[in-house]
Amino acid sequence: MSASTTIPTSRFTWRVVDIVVASVVGVASGLLFVVWNIASVPVTDPLKALLPGLQALGGGFWLFAGPLTALIVRKPGAALFGELIAAVVSALVGNQWGALTLLSGAVQGLGAEIVFAAFLYTNWRLGVALLAGAGAGLAMAITDLIVWYPGSDTLFVTVYTISGVVGGALIAGLLSWLAVRGLARTGALSRFAAGREIATRV
Amino acid sequence: MSVNPVAKLGAALLLSLCLILTIDWVSAAVALGLELLLFLALRPAVSGFWRRTAAVWIAAPLTAVTIALYGQPSGTVYAEFLFARVSEGSVTLAIATFLRVLAIGLPAVVLFVTIDPTELADGLAQRVHLPVRFVLGALAGMRLVGLFLDDWKYLALARRARGVADRGRVRRLGGQAFALLVLSIRRGSALATAMEARGFGSSTPRSWARDSPWRAREWAALGTGLAVGLTAIAAAIAAGTWNFIVG
Repeated sequence: MSASTTIPTSRFTWRVVDIVVASVVGVASGLLFVVWNIASVPVTDPLKALLPGLQALGGGFWLFAGPLTALIVRKPGAALFGELIAAVVSALVGNQWGALTLLSGAVQGLGAEIVFAAFLYTNWRLGVALLAGAGAGLAMAITDLIVWYPGSDTLFVTVYTISGVVGGALIAGLLSWLAVRGLARTGALSRFAAGREIATRV
Repeated sequence: MSVNPVAKLGAALLLSLCLILTIDWVSAAVALGLELLLFLALRPAVSGFWRRTAAVWIAAPLTAVTIALYGQPSGTVYAEFLFARVSEGSVTLAIATFLRVLAIGLPAVVLFVTIDPTELADGLAQRVHLPVRFVLGALAGMRLVGLFLDDWKYLALARRARGVADRGRVRRLGGQAFALLVLSIRRGSALATAMEARGFGSSTPRSWARDSPWRAREWAALGTGLAVGLTAIAAAIAAGTWNFIVG
């Protein structure tokens, strides 16, 4: 066999398994988004519509795809890719945000991506996961306030932004980190650094 | 008449991006009117229109309520309690918000219903030239959706048979969702091995089984989306209601 078929490997190159598993996680997250979309509209939205911005706390449920994908595959662009795939699934099934779901997905993914990039894609611990969730939350607050609530007053803007950051850190950051730890324990991540680090021998 | 899914996506995006620049009732109403005319003229085949657009019809008034309560107050104040202040200005903004959510959400549902993920991936890779491995990898993930739904059923049956988590709906759903995630990652890893074995990751030039056509009608779709958006903006400027979203 000639050696020319070997692909140069670096910590930052995406292997096929990275791409496919990131896609699968993105699609699965997108299906969960669809469940939230359907569940949230008639159940909690009428109540949330009356709140002065606190509704952004629950927005974290639409943010976890990015941090979760990044924590699993640990590649540059993973947060953006995962969140974008989830947004495409959510938009194609049909939701109240239409084509702008893709804009939101891209911006929220970037919000988490920037945090992982700031740590040069070397730190995947809880602190960074929380920051990435908060970054996604901040990105969500900025797009939502500009695109959907442009007429809101200062109090609403402040409360919405803080709620978005806190909700993002707790739901998208903490929950994703816990999920990845649990996944690693099952051995499902045996082909990823994330899995080899934590997996315990049985 | 089939239009390339990339053109449908692009038309919806162009229209939406025009509409989010301003928050006023004229631009939203004009866009909504033009969309209705196009809908009646083209009569796209949308099965279950009301069921599919239900989320938009519910979200529009609710977003409007939020803005009515917490919008920038101006003019006469009608009611005030806690932090909420319903005023002449905030009600006007609420009406604009209501129409805008409809004008952005409804055409997207109509355009997206008929999009086939495989055709969309073909278009994104061949016409938009997005990175091929990522587009096709995402499509492979999308194709597993049917399997996920079956997995979910079998997981429920297996857990029932084993007597696991018979009580506590929230805990059961959480546990089952996690089990599904484990299964899907295992499936994804196996799929990746299979794809790699067939040369998916290689750098040799790729040929395409399906061509993704780009004809005059695709340009027409993009042009229509942009035209509706620009007409709405022009109408708002002409009527003097143009209200840029920032500041």
